[in-house]
Amino acid sequence: MKSLEPWKNILTDSSLQKKYIDSAKEIEEKIHSFLEFRIPESLKNNKDGIFKNVPFAVKDNIAVKDFKCSCASKFLQDFVSPYTATAVQKLEDAGAIVCGKNNLDEFGMGSSCDNSALALSHNPWDNSRVCGGSSGGSAASVAAGLVPFSLGSDTGGSVRQPAAFCGVYGLKPTYGTVSRFGLVAFASSLEGIGVLSRDLEILRAVYDSIKGQDPLDQTSVSIPEDNQIKEVKKIACLSGDLGLDPAVEKAYNEGKEALAKLGYELIDCELPILDYVIPAYYTIATAEASANLARYNGIRYGSRASSSTYEEMVRKSRDEGFGEEVKLRILLGTYVLRSGFQDQYYIRAQKIRTAIAREMDKLFQKADLLFMPVFPTLAFHHGDSGLSSFQQKLADRFTATANLCGMPALSVPCGLQQGLPAGMQFMAPLFQEERCFQAAENLAKKIPVEICPDSFRI
Amino acid sequence: MKKEELKEIADLAMLELRDEETEKLKEGIEKMLSYFEKMTELDVDGLEPTTHALFRKTALREDKATESGLDGSKLVSAAAEKNGNFIVIPNVL
Repeated sequence: MKSLEPWKNILTDSSLQKKYIDSAKEIEEKIHSFLEFRIPESLKNNKDGIFKNVPFAVKDNIAVKDFKCSCASKFLQDFVSPYTATAVQKLEDAGAIVCGKNNLDEFGMGSSCDNSALALSHNPWDNSRVCGGSSGGSAASVAAGLVPFSLGSDTGGSVRQPAAFCGVYGLKPTYGTVSRFGLVAFASSLEGIGVLSRDLEILRAVYDSIKGQDPLDQTSVSIPEDNQIKEVKKIACLSGDLGLDPAVEKAYNEGKEALAKLGYELIDCELPILDYVIPAYYTIATAEASANLARYNGIRYGSRASSSTYEEMVRKSRDEGFGEEVKLRILLGTYVLRSGFQDQYYIRAQKIRTAIAREMDKLFQKADLLFMPVFPTLAFHHGDSGLSSFQQKLADRFTATANLCGMPALSVPCGLQQGLPAGMQFMAPLFQEERCFQAAENLAKKIPVEICPDSFRI
Repeated sequence: MKKEELKEIADLAMLELRDEETEKLKEGIEKMLSYFEKMTELDVDGLEPTTHALFRKTALREDKATESGLDGSKLVSAAAEKNGNFIVIPNVL
């Protein structure tokens, strides 16, 4: 693979390695995309494969043996993982080398990386803006050219939105096609490991390497043998007022024009069901989070508050360990799961999930792909001048659909607006990642991927 | 939502809330709950709940021990307080 070639010597040639590490440090001082950056001292035991000696990064909620796995939380800031996630292992088996762990919103909860308790990451295109989230560190490190690819996780848009903010590709695969073993659980029925890269060919190769059923993850699936790849001809686009920032709307229109010029038949559609995506998504995601995060009690791992009774120890450890957004979601999840309230919230949200999946099925009978924005704004500013945490949640409406229904979706760079990357996404029926790749490859012929000026040139 | 109700949920979630964060969290939760009300607009009669994005069948494997490759003492060493291969916590009785 041509795009991967330059990366194969970067660690083995000592003068190249020095140049790489020096440049990475310089860029990192501006963007802080890594929580830990570390090149192994010896590459002797490294395996052969298509990624031989190629460095890559991993979001810090995915386990890599002997690296920390902090989830950007004070709770786990000193926790070192005793094992490696299956997806990472598969890449290591193909010769790739983990060179660091990326920053994220604490436990994957957020859209800016500003919810990290351990580092403040910045967008490589404009350091006063966020890099997105929750896989923001992954997106920033890839956009800045520090690694050819990074693994992230996507629960409601957490791979695709930062990819859009940083101008790179971001794949959320079909639910279960990539093992979740070693991914720290936030909302188990929604999330999966995804890939971020500036290069579509590399992204595909990574996805091919990490997919497959895993006995260590009961919800993992193999691609059905009768899975036929259909050639993309018809692409559905959303019409009506989508509540987009003018810059994103312009990019969306430019993307649609490019697809039309490429010969695709565009089908206008309205998806009123999208209005119910966010309430259903946040009901389910917080309910699952409140259960999944019950494990952080200060006993077996993670930080422990000093106290004389068991109960006080657990309460104080959770109080000191969790940040505000995590507490908010645990409380909300506990509320909707309380006895007497389940029918009103949790069960209703699950029924709406069924309704959303039916609407999407109907849509995919008329079209081969859905093309739509990733997020209603470009990368926003840090702090109060940006988006409030409530506004950020509402803005997940375009991405969370794929998580509720399990479908694959690929965020693609769609030109620059006001000097910032704009991202759109292709969403496809289950197991039809290939349709997204096909369309993305063609789109890049009309709207090529822009390289961030402030990035490492290999 | 009353403050007492928030306290009750926090209790269930084993969370201790500081006074200075209580008001902000209460506001955040109320905002989301009122937004959740939108779900009542949709008629969900006759719809089965979806519990998983993609569920085919329960994956079963042979009932045989497999090698985990994990070192027990390394796992215990992640605990804040231990005694040999035991994890120590305050008295529960």
